[in-house]
Amino acid sequence: MAATVANKRGWRPRGPKFALALPSIIWYAAFFVAPIVFVVLYSFGTKDINRLVPVDFSNPSTASYSAVFDETFFKVFRGTIRIAISATLLCLLIGLPVAYFAAFKVGEKWRAIVLAAVVVPSFTSFLIRTVAWRIPLAPNGMFSKWLQDIGLVGDNGIQILETAAAVQLAIVYNYLGFMILPLYVAFDRIDVLLREASKDLGAGRIATFFSVTLPLAGPGIAAGVLLTFIPMCGDYVTATVLGGAKGNMIGAMIASQFNQAQNWPLGSAMAVLMIGAVLLVLVAGAAIVWAAPNVLVVFEPLVQSLRRRAAQRPRQVGVAPSKHFALADSVLHRALGAWTVLVLVFLFIPVGLVFMHSFNRGNSFTIWSYAVSTKWWGELFDAAVFAQTVALFAALVAAGVVAQRVLRKRAKFGGGHSGWIVPSAFALAIVVNGVLTRWYATLFDFSGIGDAIRNSFLAALGATIIAVILGGTSGVALARRPGAWSSAFMVVVFLILVTPEIMEALALATWFPRIQEVPLVGYVFGSGWGPFNGGMNKLWVGQSMYSSAVVTLIVRARLAGLDESLEQAAADLGAPPGRAFRQITLPLIASAMIAGGLLSFALCLDNAVVSSLISEAGSTTFPVALLGATRSTIKPFWGVGAISLFVVTMASLWCLVVVLRRGGASAGNIAATLTGN
Amino acid sequence: MTKQLRMLAPEAFRDKLNRRAFLKGGTVAAGFAVVLTACGGSDESSDGGESTGEASGDYSRVVNKASGALAMYTWGDYNDPELVGSLAESELGVTMKVDYYPSNEDLITKLAAGAGNSGFDIVVPTGPYIPQMVEKGLIQKLDMSKIPNFSNVDTAYVGRAWDAGNEYSVCKNWGSTGYIYNKTKITRKMETWQDFIDACMNEASGDCAMIDTGPNLCGMWYWSKGKNWNSQDEADIAECERFLVEEFAQHIKAFDSYPSTKLAEGAYSVAMGWNGDLRQAYTRIEDAGGDPDEWVWVLGAPATELWMDTYCVAAGAPNPEAAHAWINWELVPEISIRDLQYHGYNTGMKNIDTLIQELAPDLVRGEMIFFTPEQVATFQTQEISPLTDRQVEIMNKVKAKAGG
Repeated sequence: MAATVANKRGWRPRGPKFALALPSIIWYAAFFVAPIVFVVLYSFGTKDINRLVPVDFSNPSTASYSAVFDETFFKVFRGTIRIAISATLLCLLIGLPVAYFAAFKVGEKWRAIVLAAVVVPSFTSFLIRTVAWRIPLAPNGMFSKWLQDIGLVGDNGIQILETAAAVQLAIVYNYLGFMILPLYVAFDRIDVLLREASKDLGAGRIATFFSVTLPLAGPGIAAGVLLTFIPMCGDYVTATVLGGAKGNMIGAMIASQFNQAQNWPLGSAMAVLMIGAVLLVLVAGAAIVWAAPNVLVVFEPLVQSLRRRAAQRPRQVGVAPSKHFALADSVLHRALGAWTVLVLVFLFIPVGLVFMHSFNRGNSFTIWSYAVSTKWWGELFDAAVFAQTVALFAALVAAGVVAQRVLRKRAKFGGGHSGWIVPSAFALAIVVNGVLTRWYATLFDFSGIGDAIRNSFLAALGATIIAVILGGTSGVALARRPGAWSSAFMVVVFLILVTPEIMEALALATWFPRIQEVPLVGYVFGSGWGPFNGGMNKLWVGQSMYSSAVVTLIVRARLAGLDESLEQAAADLGAPPGRAFRQITLPLIASAMIAGGLLSFALCLDNAVVSSLISEAGSTTFPVALLGATRSTIKPFWGVGAISLFVVTMASLWCLVVVLRRGGASAGNIAATLTGN
Repeated sequence: MTKQLRMLAPEAFRDKLNRRAFLKGGTVAAGFAVVLTACGGSDESSDGGESTGEASGDYSRVVNKASGALAMYTWGDYNDPELVGSLAESELGVTMKVDYYPSNEDLITKLAAGAGNSGFDIVVPTGPYIPQMVEKGLIQKLDMSKIPNFSNVDTAYVGRAWDAGNEYSVCKNWGSTGYIYNKTKITRKMETWQDFIDACMNEASGDCAMIDTGPNLCGMWYWSKGKNWNSQDEADIAECERFLVEEFAQHIKAFDSYPSTKLAEGAYSVAMGWNGDLRQAYTRIEDAGGDPDEWVWVLGAPATELWMDTYCVAAGAPNPEAAHAWINWELVPEISIRDLQYHGYNTGMKNIDTLIQELAPDLVRGEMIFFTPEQVATFQTQEISPLTDRQVEIMNKVKAKAGG
């Protein structure tokens, strides 16, 4: 920060350092810190079902904590941590070769394809993919019968469902993408020259991998582990859908304390201990990672002497070393490629099953009736409504073309805006029209799937807008005006990321009834405002929490990487802080905010746990409605609904990504910003 | 300076995207839609049969129209889908949204968390839970002037102990609890709850499902010993807890209030369930290509429960008009019998035998819906007491133990 000509007008930013982050601070304090504090308080109370809030505070005690340490409950804790750790390791082992393959062994075009193939299944509903695992694993299903025929399985068929094994499988499946992406980004960021130098200096492939590639990818691996391990610990959905009695995980158990047993003290104690356990495992993992190189140093002399001896061994005459390299290289390439294809097939199995079963003639989504029928899709293409929407789309396109011609004649704009017509017509005719008129509510006659899809989009959109605003402002404040406040703020952000979703869900679910009396706030969450009912407002609050923390980190990382000279220059040239922020800072963080917004939208769209615990009748989202349907029968039109949701999501995101591309960001750039590199 | 043609589409595509291409694509899309609409059939008929005409006898058949949305929070698979869907719209003018819960405790928690703004209009609690819901202000009084068809309800199901004046509730249906087992996997004849417990601990260990409520789980133990599940005896409850947690829990495969679908998937060889849901299981098993004759339904013996589920209007309901109109409509005999054919529970209509003969003569598995007086004599009604909470706690421990 070179001293420049003193600014005569004194446009130094005034106000406290945390001023920009004030919205986030208030938001987190009101909707995260306070509810969580109350949950911790509940853990010291006793159960009293005669009250509306069934906790009695007259005799605070740690009885609930001792109850948790009782062997019965503690076993579930241990089982959950065991499943989470082994699932994380499995994801790491399965995902590493794929990330390595995508980063080092393929060209730009195939790289984009592989990455897209990894990410695309994540855009179908998390819940429907989990439910879809019931199809191949059903003891009566086609796959089971085939295995019985070839003798691999006993008379009872596949007995994986309703056990911990099913939960393990589904968890690994669901979080594989979250491991591969950060790993890929980490590998991608490694300077190619470093690896080449290592090989030039004589290190073999393995030595290069362990001494150069892996350590440099360390932060990415850490990010991947964090992104997978923490949600796995708090998992609630997988255990509920696939786990049965034996696959019980602590997240589901905590939820049942609140939902069924009405034992809030016990549930709160479990939740607090769960966070403690997660932090403990993270600290232990960090300690291992820190200690490992120090421990390995002890073995260094041994390794060196082995290498020297290997170098002294007489080489085979006549075979050029480069030929060894080439042969081994191509074998490695093929092996990695085959593995990647297998992993991609694995990722797409449930998606394919969802698609296939949407054509099931029978009444059940999970049981194949050996007959196909398009009747569920026939419900989707209700001719009159569909024709209307297509007509609206066509009319908008026509209007756009005409308007553009007229404007071109008047020479107001160049010919360059024709490209906006189709995407904006799509956005208006399908998305905005859908939000306003609920045209697709009529498409799905029963079970309110159309409503559920609409609510999902509305909730995700609102939560994303909130997350981007909060994340953008606090990210800038953290990067540019750090101070005493920033460490406390970072602790809160870290807690938001580390706290398993079930805990946040319960904190909010028990918090909202409490704040009904507060005048304005209670009104907003009770009757709502405008066209948005109280339940929708609650969803915005609940879904924006995690997303805003993620966006904060992304923006902060992005801005921290750029020095302040541009903003200083603006200040020196006389721009007031507001203008400098708008015209300098904002464009700098634009890509980070867009990337964060994309991620936030995808996360919010799929949000099931928080949404199901705080949802109300008028604002049920798609995952919540599906979760409810698991208690009854799931009909095949849920598959139709899931695929429709997927198609509209992909279309909206495609538009956005194309906008980004025009703005100069490549796929790698977006992925990098997403993981904060 | 050449002006750049900025377009949000790849270069090659840009040239092709003109009016002609759009019209072509649009025609294809429209044609596709027409084909799919032609393929799309009408709604699949419900599991029951179709009602045939109108019943004789003196019934009130008032239908009040309403409008708007109606949100119902109920048990799974508890209404004919067409009644809740297209028929509700055409006859009543309401769009129904339905959500499900597996136990009364879940219902109470959800309503309490909503604090009068849960957004639900109609809830369906089991009778004995109504007093505590009234106390907590979760349900509101019914306006019986809007439910004139109430006279169609058999007087035996009117004015129960937990709601003597029918101020808050109207009978939806009543039923009982038993179990179903696969006789190719469990070859001996099963007739009592003790048989059920023995099977779960031996042949069907790790292959059995329990209803996901505390009272039902504990009740099973009480009934197997011929005791009354409302007994306040401390020794009994302690022994119940010890047995279920220490000996029984590890054999349980799943806690499932609606085992019918998973039975068809082949997930269980024996499952405890409510009579109507297990009756639906037969249809689902058939749909899945299984053999319904392999499965045997057993009404719990020597004792089991009599439960009655009721329609109530939630406090703070957004659309109480429609709620009353729905309840009233459900009490029209033709509608009531149609529902009965789907969910398989006795809906408590007057002269129900005659109604069945006239409206649903080919009703299958009637013995799972209608019980003989001897059977009814063995039914026990639940009484809510501090014991109920204890039973919920026991289930909690059993769940934890089962997961280990």
